[in-house]
This record gives sequence, C-alpha cells and structure tokens, in this order.
Amino acid sequence: MASFSSNEWKAVCAKFTNAQQLSDVESRTDPENDPFRSKYKARELLTEIYCSLKNFEAGDGEEHDDGETSEPEPTEEPLDGEKPVDLDAFSRGWSSDSRAGLRAARLAAVEYYLGVNHVDTEELSAGQEHLMNCMKHLGKCRVSSENVSLFIHVRNQLGILWAGRDETEKSQGFLETAESIYQRYMKENGSPPTDMTEYFCSEENQLTHQERTKKFELAYTHTLYYLAQVYQYFGENERAANYCYSTLQRQLQLNQFNPMEWALNAATLSQYYITKGQYMEGRHCLAAATVISGLAGEVPSEAAAQESEAERDRREQLKQKRSEIARCWIKYCLNLLRDAKKLLEDNIGELDTDRQDELRRARRREEEEEGRKQALLFGSEDTFDSIASVEEKVSYLFPLDFTEARAIFLVGQNYVNQAKEHFQMDGFVTDHIEILQDHSALFRALAFFEEDVERRCKMHKRRVDMLEPICNDLNSQYYLLIRRQLMFELAETYNEMMDLKLTLANRQEDSQSLDNHTIKKFNHLCSASAKYFQMFLDSLCSPEGKIPEHLEEDVLRPALVARFRVARLHSKLISSSPPVQLDNLNKALENYKYVVQYCEAHPEAAAAAETELELSKEMVGLLPLKINRLKARMATNN
Amino acid sequence: MPGHKHEKQEVSDNVKVVVRCRPLNQREKMTGFKQAVTVDEIRGTITVNKFETAQEPPKTFTFDTVFGPESKQLDVYNLTARPIVDSVLEGYNGTIFAYGQTGTGKTFTMEGVRAVPELRGIIPNSFAHIFGHIAKAEGDTRFLVRVSYLEIYNEEVRDLLGKDQMQRLEVKERPDIGVYIKDLTSYAANNADDMDRIMTVGHKNRSVGATNMNEHSSRSHAIFTVTIEYSEKGLDGNQHVRMGKLHLVDLAGSERQGKTGATGQRLKEATKINLSLSTLGNVISALVDGKSTHVPYRNSKLTRLLQDSLGGNSKTMMCANIGPADYNYDETISTLRYANRAKNIKNKARINEDPKDALLRQFQKEIEDLRKKLEEGEEISGSEGSGSEEMDEGDDEAGEPGEGRRRRKGLRFVTKMAIRFDSQIKKKVSPDKMVEMQAKIEEERKALEAKLDMEEEERNKARAELEKREKDLIKAQQEHQLLLEKLSTLEKKVIVGGVDLLAKAEEQEKLLEESNNELEERRRRAEQLRKELEEKEQERLDIEEKYTSLQEEAQGKTKKLKKVWTMLMAAKSEVSKIILETAGIIAVIKTGLETFKATIGKWSLKCLEAELSRIYSINNHEEKKGACLC
Repeated sequence: MASFSSNEWKAVCAKFTNAQQLSDVESRTDPENDPFRSKYKARELLTEIYCSLKNFEAGDGEEHDDGETSEPEPTEEPLDGEKPVDLDAFSRGWSSDSRAGLRAARLAAVEYYLGVNHVDTEELSAGQEHLMNCMKHLGKCRVSSENVSLFIHVRNQLGILWAGRDETEKSQGFLETAESIYQRYMKENGSPPTDMTEYFCSEENQLTHQERTKKFELAYTHTLYYLAQVYQYFGENERAANYCYSTLQRQLQLNQFNPMEWALNAATLSQYYITKGQYMEGRHCLAAATVISGLAGEVPSEAAAQESEAERDRREQLKQKRSEIARCWIKYCLNLLRDAKKLLEDNIGELDTDRQDELRRARRREEEEEGRKQALLFGSEDTFDSIASVEEKVSYLFPLDFTEARAIFLVGQNYVNQAKEHFQMDGFVTDHIEILQDHSALFRALAFFEEDVERRCKMHKRRVDMLEPICNDLNSQYYLLIRRQLMFELAETYNEMMDLKLTLANRQEDSQSLDNHTIKKFNHLCSASAKYFQMFLDSLCSPEGKIPEHLEEDVLRPALVARFRVARLHSKLISSSPPVQLDNLNKALENYKYVVQYCEAHPEAAAAAETELELSKEMVGLLPLKINRLKARMATNN
Repeated sequence: MPGHKHEKQEVSDNVKVVVRCRPLNQREKMTGFKQAVTVDEIRGTITVNKFETAQEPPKTFTFDTVFGPESKQLDVYNLTARPIVDSVLEGYNGTIFAYGQTGTGKTFTMEGVRAVPELRGIIPNSFAHIFGHIAKAEGDTRFLVRVSYLEIYNEEVRDLLGKDQMQRLEVKERPDIGVYIKDLTSYAANNADDMDRIMTVGHKNRSVGATNMNEHSSRSHAIFTVTIEYSEKGLDGNQHVRMGKLHLVDLAGSERQGKTGATGQRLKEATKINLSLSTLGNVISALVDGKSTHVPYRNSKLTRLLQDSLGGNSKTMMCANIGPADYNYDETISTLRYANRAKNIKNKARINEDPKDALLRQFQKEIEDLRKKLEEGEEISGSEGSGSEEMDEGDDEAGEPGEGRRRRKGLRFVTKMAIRFDSQIKKKVSPDKMVEMQAKIEEERKALEAKLDMEEEERNKARAELEKREKDLIKAQQEHQLLLEKLSTLEKKVIVGGVDLLAKAEEQEKLLEESNNELEERRRRAEQLRKELEEKEQERLDIEEKYTSLQEEAQGKTKKLKKVWTMLMAAKSEVSKIILETAGIIAVIKTGLETFKATIGKWSLKCLEAELSRIYSINNHEEKKGACLC
C-alpha cells in the first residue's frame, strides 16, 4: 500500500487528529451563541477525509485487486433496525488485513465519527444515516481484533439514538448484537483490539495494549448500561437491575468511575433491593456506597469554602451527596423494621408471640445451614474489607424483639441526624421534612416492639413533638401536599396515643372508673386528633372555603377515612354535660352522614373505603336513636 | 370555562396537554421537504405519515386540543392559557410550558412577535389579560403584581433582570415562602407596558445560539414568573389576601435535554451525553418504587423550581410543539408520545395512611354494643364505648372541694389566657389591642404572684409561660412595626382595582376579548360541525353497513345467478343437442317409416292382389268345382 506512506495519507491523519481535537476539546469552549462551531469544523474535516479515502484508495484498490474480488460482497444489511442476533459477521466478509477490509473499516470509522458529530449537533436523522452507512461498510467485513471495537461502538450509538426516540425494540436489536459480539470475541480471540482512532495515526502513535483494553471494555460497559435502560423500559426490572449492577461493578473493576457519582448510584440501587425484600443485597450496595464515597476525599472546611468558590461548591456537593447516602440508609433501617413488624403482628396489630417463636426457629435453622449466599459482590481488592466492616454495623435480618429492633432503630436515627445536618429546614424545607417524617416512622416502627405501654406512648409523643411545630409553620399554599401528609400523621398519632392512654388507665385501675386527670388527658388527645383530621379536610376546600363536590382520586380515600375518624372521635369525647354530649353526637352523625351521602352520589367511591362506609351506614342508623334518648333524658331532667 | 366538553371528568386534570404544529418554513420549502403532519382541529387528532416506507401506516394521536399550521396566536392563548391565567387570578398557582424539539416554535408560541398585536404570544397576552382583569375589578380590591425572569443554563440559575449577568443564584426553600431564588430581582409592574418592557430587558439577556437546525435556538430554560397578590373585603368585613403565581416556561429544545433535563455547557461537558454514564442513576431510580424509598436528588434545578406545579392547588398546561416536515418524523413521534404521557403526570406526594384494621374491628364491636344497649333501652351517656362509664367521674370533679380544685381552676385560666394570646398574636392584632394584652399579662402575673397557695413549681411554670408570651408579644409588635414599614413601601406599588390601566394595553385586551368571543362562536360552530360530522359519520357508517350487507347479498346472488345461468346454458345446449339428435333420428325413422309404408303399401297391394287372385282362383275353382258338381 504505497499510498500509506505518502504525504497524502499523512495529511489525512493530521486532519483526523485535528477533527478529534476540535470535537472533544475545543467544542467545550465554544461561545454560547455559536455552540457548535468546533463541531461543525470537525464535520468539515471528516467529510474531507471521507472524500480522500474514497478517491485515492478506490483508485489503487481496484487496480491490483485480485484476492479480494474472489470473495463476494456480503449482502447488505436492512435499512434500519437489526436482526436480533447477527453473528455471521464472525465467519463471513472480508478479513481485516485484506486491503478491501481495511478500506471498508476506515470508511466505516469516518462514517461513524460523522454520525456521532451529527447526533451531537442535534441533527439526529442525518446522524442516523451516517451510522447506518458505517454499518453497511462493516457488513462487508469479518469481525477481528482490528475492527471489533467499531462493531460495538456503532451499535451503541444506534442503540442510544433509537432509545432516545422511544423505539426501544430497535435499540434492543443493536445493543444485544453488540453484547453477543463482545462475548464471542472475548471467547474466541480476546486480544486487546485496535481502537478506531488508530486507523488514522502513524505506527509510533499506536495505543498500548492497556489503553486498548481500557477503551474497548469501556465501550462494552456502555453497552450493558444501555441495555439496562432497554430492559427497564420493557419493565423487566430484575434484569435491568442486574445490568445496572454489572455496569457498576465493571466501573469499579476497571477503575473508571467518579466516586461520588458511583456511590450515589449504588445507594440508589440499594433501594431497589430493599423494595424486593433483599436486605442482604441492599445492605451491600449501601456499604459499598459509603466506602466509595469516602474515596472522594474530605469535605473542605468552612474556612476553605469561604476563600474560594470552587471549594465552596465542592463542600456543598460532598455534604449533599453524603447526606443522600445517609437518607438511603435511613430507608434501609425503616423498611427492615416495617417488614419485620408486618411479619410479627397479629390481626389487631400487636406482637404475635407464636409468630415470633416460629421466626426465631427458622432463623436458627438457616444459621445452621450457613445462611444465604450473597448475590452481589462489589469491590476491588483494596475496598473489599472496608465494605465488609461497614456491613457488620447493622444486621440484614428481620429484628424479632425489642433489643434487635432498637439496634436497627439507633443506626437509622444516627443517619437521620447525619442527613439533617446538611438538609436543614432553612434552605431545604422539603428534604428536611421528609427526613423528619422518616424519623417519626422509625419511632413508630420501634414502638411496635416496645412492650411497656407508657414508653410506647412516649415514643409517639416524640413524633408529635417533631412534626407538630413544622406543620403549623409551613405556608399552606406552597406546601399543601406536605402539610396534608403531616396533618394526617399527627391525627393518627394523637389517636394512637389516646388509645394507649386508655389501655394504660384501664390496666392500672381495677375499678372501671377513670380519674379526672386521665379524662382530661384523654379528651385532649381525642380533640387534638379530631382537630388534625379536620384540618386535613379543610385543606381540600377551594380558596373560597367550599367543600369540593368531587374528591380527586389521590385524596379520595384519605378524605373519607378522615371524615369517618372525625365522626368516631366526636362520639368518643367524654363529657358530663348533656348539651355538650348532644353537640358531639350531632357532629359525629353529620360526618358519618357525609361518608354515606358522598358514596351514594359517587358510587365509584364506595370501593375506596368499603368497611368505613359500611360502619358509617350502621352509625347513621343507630346514632339518631341515641340522640333521641339523650334528648328525652335532658327533657325529663329539666 | 372554555374547552371543557366533559366538565365532570376534566376537573381532576391538573395537567392539560395541547399540541401545536408550525407551518413549513422557507428553508424547508426550498429544500423540498414534504408535509408529514396532518392536524384535524375538530377531532383533536394529529396524524404523522412516513413517506420513505410507504407500507408503514400513519400514526395518529389524540389530544384535548390541537392546533394546525394556520392556527392564530390569539386562539392559542384563549384556548389554552386563558383558563390557567383565570385560575391564577382566583388564587391558584399556574404553569404553562412549551415543550418540543428545537425549531418547532416554542419561543414563538410563548413570546411571539411582540411588535405585531396579532402575533403576540402567550406571555404578552397574559399581561393584557391580567391587567384587563384588574381594570375590571371592584374598586375596593387591591392588587400587587410582581414579575421576575430567570433562565437555567448549564444547571446554573441566572437572573435575566439582574444587574450582574454572570452571577449564579441559588435555589432555596423556606417554610413560609416555599421554593425561592436567593437574590432574584423582582419588579412591581403597574401595567402591561411595564411588564412588556421588563420582559424585553430580560429577553435580550437570554442565551441564544445559532445552529444548523435553528438560527435562534434557545439554549436554556427560561421562566417568567408573575406573582399576583390581591386583597378584597370579604363577607365578614375583613380584608382577605390571596396570592397566585403564574410560571411561564420556555424549555430548551427537547433533544438537548435527553433524559437529564440538562442544558448548555453541562451537556457539552459530558461531550456526548449518550456516552456519559452519569445518567446511570436515572435508570436505576426508574427501577425503584418510590413509595417507601429514597431516590437521591437528581432532579434538575428546573424540576425543583417547579415542584409545586403538579400539586393540588396548581394548574398546569403543556404545549407540545412539533414541526411538519417529514425529515423530523422520528423526533415528532417522540414529542407526541411524550405529550401523551404528560397527561398522566402527577405529583408524587400522597397520603400514606396507616392501615388500621384493628381500629375498625374494635369499632365494629363497639357498634354491636351500642346496638345492644339501644335495643335493651338502657341508659346511655353522652359518650359511648370505652368512655361511657368515666363520665360520672367527670361529674364528681365539679363538686370536688378544696385547694386542689382552686389550683386547677387557676391554672386552667392561665392556660386559657395563654392560648387566647397565642391565637391573637398569630392573628397579628392591632397595636392598641397589643397594649391591652400587655396590661393583661402584667395583671395576670400579679395575680399569679399573689396566689400564695399555688405550688412553687407550677407557679414558676406558669410564670415562665407568661414571660414567653410576653416575649412573643414584643416580637409580634416588632414584626408588626416592620410590616407597617413594608406596607407603606408596598402601598406605593399597589394598584387599586378598577383604575384605568388599560392605556395602551387596552387594544391588546380588546383584541383578546374579541377573539375570545369570536372563538366562542367558532367553538360553538365547530362543536356543531363536529356533531354534524359525527352524525354524518354515523350515517355513513350505517349506510355503509347496510350497503355492505346488500353488496354481499348481491354478490352472493350474482354468484348464484351465474351458476344457475351456466347450468341453464349447459342444459340448453344439451337440449338443443338432444333436439338436433332427435331430429336426425326422427328423420331417419320418418324415411324408414316412409319406405316401410311404401313397402307395406306395396306389400299390401301385392298381398291384396295375391289374395284377390287367390280368392278369384278359389272362386273360379269353386265355380268350376260347383259347375262341375252341378
């Protein structure tokens, strides 16, 4: 190939290097009002390269073409899309060391870069055309270490292009082929393949084996990552999660990651495993996240942040992201406690000791069988031990008694405090409140395991103390939805406390009577609960204070339940004065009636609160009787 | 409210989606691109054809409202933005988005050509609308209208109205005012012209880049926010203040945001967003069920700023813009699909209610008890269930003698007072009331100190409480002062309803009104047309159905007929063949007969002759014989 050493070829190589430089480096500093200046310049150069390649290689290629033409041109690929698995490319086509093969690969590479360039400059259709041309050129070649990288790169690009257009099936075709090409190549050959950039550089500038491997493996990591997207789109969540895991693990292994970003991703992945009840995997992801986020270095001091903007940014970023990971940990503890509670509670929500014994036995059996095997394993040699030591700090097993539950609660609470440090009320209202809600939920779950009623009551009091002031401080226009959540939770918590107080009083005193103090306390809790339910109901009204005729689907059940509970709380209030009693009963009746009437007017609502409706109907029948009796008594007393 | 065909069902729609298709532009016409998009405004459908592969059937999408290439700016405003602005004027929050690929007319829809009244976009029209509303309001309604204008470029917030364009602003949140941007400039506007000027200033500062696809491609998200506060006398005689916020959002080209919503430099830094693994997090979070988990904040500044746009008291309208040319086929489809999905966007904040089966079960039992008691006619006290017996105890309390009782009463009084103060302070009482209250607190304190029989501890507690109240009161007073000062500065900016503000904006408002009326008329007509169309369609269908059944029958009959016909023909030809054959046979028989006859004739003659001759001869013989004998 005489022309390779010629000046012409040297010029082509220089142009290519220039185009790469423009596209990857200079484009970053293009002015805002001409954002693609360098990309357009790079495109021109690439087009010129393409023309010269066509011209001078076509000429000398055909002249002394003997061996190549004997091999028939492989059939063309379909226009867009790809057959699911097309591995003929390993056995058919020009071999890459043939002149025609090399020429085709070079043309394909230029088409590839042109395609990427067009996609980058928002000309997707044109980009697609170039990428398909690249595919066409490659279609004539046999897969080898000289071109396999391009085979995968172009499919990655086409895969993501179609995924961006939501044509996921097309995307899947390209990506799965890329995956199989990689796997087959690694099985059959496995030597570090040539990178496409090497087509256009002199011998001395060739990449080392290490560099080649790095680039090639990174391309495959992307294939896996895009496939994760594809499977997620198809709703194959488990498969998608596996691909996400592989992507993360490969990043770690190949040392191609940004620590904070990686850690955040691993922490997010933990949330997937948590919802699947796979706490061992969830914990592993979180431990890895904690360890890897440590690699990002120390948080700059406040003093340093004062001095430079860059340090200030870094401080904010690190603090925020570590707090995010802490929040994922909180959810881990919370879900573990909650799931354990679900397993252990009987049909009235109390601890079922039979279930407890049964689960203890099951755990012992499992321990004897040496437990479950971990499905995931993150880490490189130097991080493995530290990940394991973070894992040891909290169990992945369901807590079965108060001591175990408390251990998990404390870990969670510790992360709550950590997260609150960054997500302060002033500046991060929504986040701060979400953390408080979690804290409250942690107390709630722990209270289930607590046997002492008084202490249990105190835990609920803690919940009220942390939520009540906030609920009242928030602007109701901007935090409508959060306030609704808080009101509902406060109402339920007061209700819970009221029930506990009653249990306690009944337990303490053998006599059936309650003392004054208890009654006062009881009434206070009862009205507080009713007050918050009512506040919730008021928040549904229009700005003019009108009760909505139609309740939206997301508040339908809460609204009906709140009405029902308000009714019930009113009939529970203790009073010695008959007029007050009457008033309370009337309010109760009014609210029961609302539930019944609303469901009559909106038959579709009945399904949302079936039991409540049924009970309300009964009460609507019974309460008037009771009210009449009371009235009669009042009349005779007067 | 216009545009609501099924009021009942659409009430719950917080997100309304409309689609607008722009006409082919000069460049596209010159290049010879074909129109791939057909818009049927009456049916609300958009059909996209793919020309290169003819076998692919055209795709059709249906939306609340669609606008074709000939649609007018004023119509777009009246049909889409007007209801949103109306609800902002009622005190809701409203958001209007323009979404779509670059160069599909988002900025034209939002801003339009401001020099030409007919070509003005949603933003200037909303100004006219707002001030038109103020001008028509009752005399004792007061308004304060403020505007701010910002852009998000490269995940950095810039104040388009600020003095220093390079300054980056922080997005923050405060319990009392929600999400806000620290140090963002906001101007009070007194009329539509004010607003227009402010917008022009900001508009100049926007990041616009020239690309091959679009000479004026908006590179950033821009949010123009109008805050309208107004106070009016309610039925109770008090002033009621309400506030509504209108966000007008011009998004950067959709292709540029990918799945991250990133814009500008940040996108470029990832060189190729496609190849950047930094979006892995988005994929993972999509796998996570958000109910009881935490997904680390990946939301862009944009989502954070607009976080209350999808909530309960917010109305959102999204205008998806598309281009008509065939070369954008895939992008157009993608935008339409997104718009389709956007209809179902909801805010994730839901009420997580505790499932309380135990409670219900308990209640069921209580009802049972109650029923029994009622049936038995037993005395029932005011509270049912667990509370019923304790009531008597409560009665006793009233008669409880001695110190304990007094102590309790005294305390209760203090607490009651405290509560009253509390609520009064919260209500921001008037200064003289405050003085009065202070006196009361003082009095209360003295009374407390005088009560020597009170336990030390409780007294201290009560005193502390009082002191706290006092402090609060002082704070409230200070706040009050501050508010007064603020008020006086604000008062200058407040506009009183009914004042003639229209001036130059009058024309625009008139134009809007007119076009709205015209629109109403047109809509009625369109509705009628649509109905007629539907009827005709139905009729056509009916006829077609009948027709097809008739046609089928006819076909069947024709077939049968044909068959019978061929059978007939075959039979006929057979008959004629048989006729011919028989004729031959008859002829042969005839001739045979003839000859036979002839032969018979001959023979009979001969026989006759022979007989005759025989008879003759016999006779002769007999005669001869007789003669002989005789």
